[in-house]
Amino acid sequence: MERSDVRSLYRLAALLACAYALPFAIGGWYGAVHANERWLGYLATVVISGVLQGGVYAMFAVGLTLIFGVMRIINAAHGEMVMMGAYLTWVCFFRLGLDPLLALVLTLPVAFLFGVALQKVVLHAVVGQPELTGLLVTFGLGLVIVYVTELIFTTDFRTIPYAPGTVRLTRTIAVGQSKVISFVIAVAISAGVYLFLKLSRLGKAIRATALNAEVAMVCGIPVRRVYLITTGLAAALAVAGGALVSIQFGFNPETGTVYTLQAFTIIILGGRGHYVGALIGGVMLAVLEGLVSLLVPNGTAMVELAAYTLMIFVLLIRPGGLMGVKDA
Amino acid sequence: MTRSEHLRNLLALGVLGLVLALLPPALNVYLRSFALFTMMYVVLALSWNIISGFTGYTSFGHVIFYGIGAYACAILVADHGWHWLPTLLVAAGVAAAVGVALGYPVLRLKGPYFAIAMLGAAEGVRVVATVWDGLTHGGLGISLPSVENSIATYYAMLGLMLITILVAYAVGHSRFGIRLNAIREDEVAAEALGINATAYKLAAFALSAVFPAVAGGIQAYKVLYIDPPSVFFVQITIAMALMSMLGGKGTVIGPIVGAVLLYTAQELTWVNFPTAHLIAYGLFIVIVARFMPRGLVGFAIDRGWARKGMVH
Repeated sequence: MERSDVRSLYRLAALLACAYALPFAIGGWYGAVHANERWLGYLATVVISGVLQGGVYAMFAVGLTLIFGVMRIINAAHGEMVMMGAYLTWVCFFRLGLDPLLALVLTLPVAFLFGVALQKVVLHAVVGQPELTGLLVTFGLGLVIVYVTELIFTTDFRTIPYAPGTVRLTRTIAVGQSKVISFVIAVAISAGVYLFLKLSRLGKAIRATALNAEVAMVCGIPVRRVYLITTGLAAALAVAGGALVSIQFGFNPETGTVYTLQAFTIIILGGRGHYVGALIGGVMLAVLEGLVSLLVPNGTAMVELAAYTLMIFVLLIRPGGLMGVKDA
Repeated sequence: MTRSEHLRNLLALGVLGLVLALLPPALNVYLRSFALFTMMYVVLALSWNIISGFTGYTSFGHVIFYGIGAYACAILVADHGWHWLPTLLVAAGVAAAVGVALGYPVLRLKGPYFAIAMLGAAEGVRVVATVWDGLTHGGLGISLPSVENSIATYYAMLGLMLITILVAYAVGHSRFGIRLNAIREDEVAAEALGINATAYKLAAFALSAVFPAVAGGIQAYKVLYIDPPSVFFVQITIAMALMSMLGGKGTVIGPIVGAVLLYTAQELTWVNFPTAHLIAYGLFIVIVARFMPRGLVGFAIDRGWARKGMVH
């Protein structure tokens, strides 16, 4: 590591420390911080749910980081794919009577094929173009997904009643059952994808293409096929994320945008194209969001603001993120 | 480009201005507001083009300036009782200041990182406008005192459009514009040639912030009601980018053509297919970006229908 690299890492660490301290400072100012057992219980609950939530965020952010890492395309429709996953799960639950987790067996192959088709028809032409082209193409695609969904399902909020119970850890700390289940599934899927990327031939080909597409091509890697599989995988991860989000929160066609920006924040915090970085970034963001919504007045709106501000500051201090390479 | 060609272009602009100035009595209220919004999108696309087309920094959050202008105008008119015309100057000043303050750090980022940072900044500003009750009335929005104003706003927008076209044209044909193009093509090489890239980028960014702010102010006074989701609407940014791209970004005529075509098409589909028009719009974005990344102007040049110098 160069010295400037180390220095920017320290600065990033300082920024994150400030980011975590700030909600407490604001909460203290407005008298939302207490020292009794009950409040500490709340705090622990928020942090634990944040970690659980972060696992799910991280999983769908990995999809974004894959596309960005391999093809240098910013997929502005990623959140919309997450939302699509939530609706697919809803259909499976209410129309086919499938358990939301069992439904993954059906929805993931569908999502993979959707990703492959998307790559074939649209994204192949965008690889290597200036970033605006990719942004606009995927944004347009996102609009199509949103409004087609709206046409079919209307803008009503939907929820999937699944595992509504809570898991009680101590007398004051309790987290939702659905959160724990989602976390376990997300960790399992993330670990599976990680092993696939690390160990299988195809996974190695994907990583090689991400490092340098031209050299990969010279080495005989079928780069276009790698692109197909990457987008398919990314779409599947997004849809899986949607399924896991859908059993915890309500959703409507407009919710996708927030997920897109969350995923951006996560991959920038973690380092673009970096797998483990995305997982760390996901957990860090979710914990911060939990703290903000607990401590800061007007928390729900501030959660979004916190995420965007964090993203911009990380970009300014260290565009490569926590684990990333220096290239911007 | 020769002097006579400049004169010809100026003359064409003068004729356009004159025709549009004489038009309002012949138009009904709907057509007048249609013309006004078309002119507004010409302004937006042209200003976006100064930073993103000429300089190559894709501003994916340019709606910030439009929204700030709308709010500056609405707050001063509704809460402080100003006449609306001077508020437009305030809007321009505020937007330029925000442009410099935001651009100074963010313009150091390159390529996709700049685009993402701007997108995040735009969403962040929208949240601030929603939360800051004391200044912006929060999510309730601001209603402006109502008066019949469609003629006044029409002429204001016309004036703004002519100024924007003139400025964009001047930038496009000056040393300033050539230096911006040099930054777009190769920033390191441009700096090696002695161009102060930071200062030039910042100037281009501030310049491209001013006109959308004034347009936002006029629009607020035309529509008489603004709230955060409507003036910090991400699709306004998309429209700026798409219009420039459709016409041909990095040129002067391109964004004008793109804005007129796209806004007309949008209006027609909206009137005829109220439910499906947004799906069609999304598909249209995909198709334009997929098949015509260099726009109509690039398309025409490739086929030898136009000379490069003629359309810039």
